[in-house]
Amino acid sequence: MPWDVIFFYLIGGVSVLTALGVVVANNPVHAGIFLVICFLNVAGIFVMLGAEFLAVTQVIVYTGAILVLVLFVLMLVDPDDLPEFHTARPVQRYVGFLLGAVLLLEVGAAILTWTRFAPEGTATPENIAFVGGNTQALGRLLYTDYLLAFEVISLVLIVGIIGAIVLALPERLGERTGTRRDTISLGHARGTDTAALPVGPRGETPITVDRDRAQPTPAMTRGLIMAKDADEYTTV
Amino acid sequence: MAEQPIWLTFIVAFIIMNVLLVGMAYMTYFERKVMAAMQDRMGPTRTGPKGLLQPIADGIKLLGKEDLIPAAADKVVFFFAPLIVFVTALVSVAVIPFGGTVQIFGRDVNLFVTDLNVGALFILAIGSAGVYGIILGAWASANRYSLLGGLRSAAQVVSYEIILGLSLVGIFLITGSLSLRDILLAQQQPLEFGPLSLSNWYILSQPLAFVLFLIAAVAETNRAPFDLPEAETELVSGFHTEYSAFRFSFYFLGEYINMIVVSLFASTLFLGGTSGPGSEAYWGLGLLWLLLKTVIFLFFYVWLRTTLPRFRFDQLMGIAWKVLLPLALLNIVITAFIRLVSNGQVF
Repeated sequence: MPWDVIFFYLIGGVSVLTALGVVVANNPVHAGIFLVICFLNVAGIFVMLGAEFLAVTQVIVYTGAILVLVLFVLMLVDPDDLPEFHTARPVQRYVGFLLGAVLLLEVGAAILTWTRFAPEGTATPENIAFVGGNTQALGRLLYTDYLLAFEVISLVLIVGIIGAIVLALPERLGERTGTRRDTISLGHARGTDTAALPVGPRGETPITVDRDRAQPTPAMTRGLIMAKDADEYTTV
Repeated sequence: MAEQPIWLTFIVAFIIMNVLLVGMAYMTYFERKVMAAMQDRMGPTRTGPKGLLQPIADGIKLLGKEDLIPAAADKVVFFFAPLIVFVTALVSVAVIPFGGTVQIFGRDVNLFVTDLNVGALFILAIGSAGVYGIILGAWASANRYSLLGGLRSAAQVVSYEIILGLSLVGIFLITGSLSLRDILLAQQQPLEFGPLSLSNWYILSQPLAFVLFLIAAVAETNRAPFDLPEAETELVSGFHTEYSAFRFSFYFLGEYINMIVVSLFASTLFLGGTSGPGSEAYWGLGLLWLLLKTVIFLFFYVWLRTTLPRFRFDQLMGIAWKVLLPLALLNIVITAFIRLVSNGQVF
């Protein structure tokens, strides 16, 4: 068996297995890691097909930027705040399965029609070698025949960026400093830290925090009484 | 590029990898000596003549340390994360050209591992994959300081990668190729400037891109003054707080190898790489020129570390998005315009 076939099955097998891992992993961060490995393997398949530029772009954009941000969010979200992870209602499962099947059919149909029935394109190895390589050929096509699509995509991206800025802006600019937002829990769920305090190694009772204790009223506190002027304490 | 048997490529790759590892060890020595000189100290002197064996002693010390894993850590991820940093740092050197095809023992040998069509982008891609080692290691440690360091690192690398990539677009526009070997060859053409005939190094035609690249590269390698992921005054020691012994040393190796690779990359892109007097006749001289240029960049790294205080995080992000990004875009527009004018396509 030639080496490229062996490598293809290796890379393809790993990408299918890790794609499966994304779905079945219990920990959301592990699912994210599986997705990273899957994307890297898909980039490997692109390299084997001679599309180096596509492979490198896949790694820079998807693994390098987008998935880092996804992992960001997954790491910050408290796992206890995800009660429906893997316990979705049956109807959601069926709809998800149906949508997945439809997508598979669509992609399969697209590949079949292109490879079976479509006329052969102009991207023959000789033509690609003539313009100087895969990257150059792709660049020429993007900026000539598909210029309109390219510009439309960049417009959509700009709209997306502006939308993100608008969503992230507080309604009034003073609001950010005026009120304290809830802090993000990095570890355990809110309130569990008081209930689950362990007993110390020598049987010490844990210090419990009385969360419901009354706020001190002005009558309970009194102003500081200074016996002397503050300057009198400092001896020069 | 001459075809060569795959075993020869493996030998070249093996030599480059080992030289890089030894170079990394002596980069720590170089850094300590230079910092010591700048701070009016002696630096390491005890181990071997002039302290030259200090890196080896440090390596043995790190190997002998106890390997600690936090009880709450995610064991598998904790184990693999330092390896990601180390491996990605080593892989990216594969596309750096150390010279052309030369005759060694009567054989044609390529002085580079591979001449990838998209070599410059490959280094950026591998660098962006390397950030996973930091954020996954930070998360797996189950330590809040680590996680904060990892998040900072991810935000920093994602932001500065854009500037790193955009600063190179001008070079790609001039060269018309993403291959580092083509970029190197393009810089060997003479640049006629009136009576003067200079080398066409891109530092001369792309000075703004050079400055942007240098700033972004320091941030990309998490070095001072952009070393916020391991800011020890705030975060204990950031993402590698929980790491000890050999796992820690993988992070350490990765960081220093990244510095060396970025310096090699910068010398190839902006300072003409191996080109210099006599480098056409003797390939060894070309290697020496490349080494000299790389050491200049490494010295610059150390110089920055001893000189500048650490940035605040909002300053770091502000300078990336509000200053460097517009400048990088401006550089692209100017370069494209000049290219059009010189080709006679406008006016």
